[in-house]
Amino acid sequence: MSMTSRISALLAVAVTATALAFASGELHAQQRKGFSPIDRTDQKKSKQDLNLKGHPTPPLATPLEKIPVDKLRLPAGFKAEIWSHGHPGARTMVIGSKGTIFMGSRLIGRVYAITDRDGKREVKVLLQGLTQPNGLVFRDGSLYVFAINQVFRFDNIEDRLDNLGAPVELTKAFNLPDTLHHNWKYVAFGPDGKMYVQVGANCNICEINPGTHGQIRRYNADGTGMEILARGVRNTVGFDWHPQTGELWFTDNGRDWAGNEGPEDELNVIRKGQEGAFYGFPYCHANGIPDPDIRIPNACAGVTLPAATTGPHSAGLGIKFYTGTMFPKEYQNVAFIARHGSWNREQKFGYDVVIARTDGGKVTIEPFMTGLLDEKANQFFGRPSYLLQMPDGSLLVSDETNGAIYRISYAAPGATKK
Amino acid sequence: MTRLWWRPLALGLAAAAFFAGAPLAQTMPLAERIKLCGACHGEDGNSRTPNIPSLAGQPEFFLVNQLFLFREGVRKVPGMSELTAGLKDDDLVALAKHFAALEAKPSKEAIDPASAKRGAALAEPMRCASCHLPSLTGQEQMPRLAKQRIDYLIHSMTQFRDDARSGADTQMSNVLIGVSDDDIAALAHYASSR
Repeated sequence: MSMTSRISALLAVAVTATALAFASGELHAQQRKGFSPIDRTDQKKSKQDLNLKGHPTPPLATPLEKIPVDKLRLPAGFKAEIWSHGHPGARTMVIGSKGTIFMGSRLIGRVYAITDRDGKREVKVLLQGLTQPNGLVFRDGSLYVFAINQVFRFDNIEDRLDNLGAPVELTKAFNLPDTLHHNWKYVAFGPDGKMYVQVGANCNICEINPGTHGQIRRYNADGTGMEILARGVRNTVGFDWHPQTGELWFTDNGRDWAGNEGPEDELNVIRKGQEGAFYGFPYCHANGIPDPDIRIPNACAGVTLPAATTGPHSAGLGIKFYTGTMFPKEYQNVAFIARHGSWNREQKFGYDVVIARTDGGKVTIEPFMTGLLDEKANQFFGRPSYLLQMPDGSLLVSDETNGAIYRISYAAPGATKK
Repeated sequence: MTRLWWRPLALGLAAAAFFAGAPLAQTMPLAERIKLCGACHGEDGNSRTPNIPSLAGQPEFFLVNQLFLFREGVRKVPGMSELTAGLKDDDLVALAKHFAALEAKPSKEAIDPASAKRGAALAEPMRCASCHLPSLTGQEQMPRLAKQRIDYLIHSMTQFRDDARSGADTQMSNVLIGVSDDDIAALAHYASSR
């Protein structure tokens, strides 16, 4: 920066102090589009502690020695270790064909590239200043980045980590609603080669515009050919396809301020031939619970109920069907679900990874990775967010609170190999 | 107004001239940097500049968070990203600790008692106190609203309502959806009066 430009930057600051004075007046003139009616939350009726509040995401990384890896508990034979750290706000993870792990975040606005060099991880801030870039997907050498209000494609990205170049902007092609709330993205390619994207309900509980919100959509990778695959979905930010049936399974976060015990979060499936089905929001939740604040007759008629419920306020985010060979056979095609943990519940709940066995008639949910919640002290130490199966069959778990990734591996008990 | 306009400008110029030879953000001692912040936000952290927020008595976590978001360009306020560019994480923490420890003093703007009373009634069902505390002094990532400048509170709430505030938890845009300008003003008078 030259001396003159430094001075002009400071001048700009000083002038801005007064320029802001008229900014607020201008905003009123703008009418927002796609804006849903007022939130109908009735907190008092919930009989919950009214001082429950969202947990902060620290913008600075937890020092290595304070990352709670020693607290993690797993079934016999499994081991957890710190895979990488120093990337605050750790959430979504995708892997490039050359092994780079790309990581998305929410509030802190960063996308990281994590590379493995001689067994050590190097973390690089690839992008910053974005509005909640939670949606990442990698295909044919390109990284797609979905922020709430922007969509970019970076071609040939793994060869250009140090000099990204200009991306292809796809914002207009996807034409996603620009409302902020519950609109951070989850994106994945399906077995049909289409790109799946969700649009959450922009409230806790309200009458959403079903034409724009509460949906899972699919597109061609260039943003054309939009179809709506699921409606009445409050806030899914994780999905995956069953490796054998090819059906789409998705987590969905239930509404808040309707009691400590529910309605429970959902694990849903779009069965073959049920594309476009209605999943109940805002009228019907969990296993058929009519909403207490928005009442309509026969609230659950015609609603596709969940395959399983996943606990009250547990906040299931990432889901991944395991297809590797490292874990024992009984984990084949089992869905791992990262539960971020509750905020709207007096006794904290979740903060773990569970497994869902979906084959057979009844879906069962079992614990897998625990230890980040001290139930007695009602205190949590980390928040599992997303999962990534590595080429060697190990499973990575991101922890948003600590800015770390844990690697879970398996060795048969008694085996001595490292 | 005119005098207020010139003070930050003069200070900014002085700082720019003084530090012109070195990368500004990384070499300015903390005391000088605090002075630079104070040019707009008030030397004691209580702003007398229209539409510029007071920082005194804000929760430390909130201040670190906002400084981080400015530095990285997530929260876009002209000038703030330039002023925080190149700061190390430790610098953000040091600045936040300084302003968090200062005493919040009432804004010198005129509070309309009728408006403040109406704002109090509105704030109750909106549950502002559930995150910002009944005293509205804030906690963790949630800012102090008490004694904040009225004009800044109006500006900020309007941005939330209109989804025009980048780098914030989207909860605030949810809470403020559909709230009228009049009601936002009443809420601002109430919060500032606390």
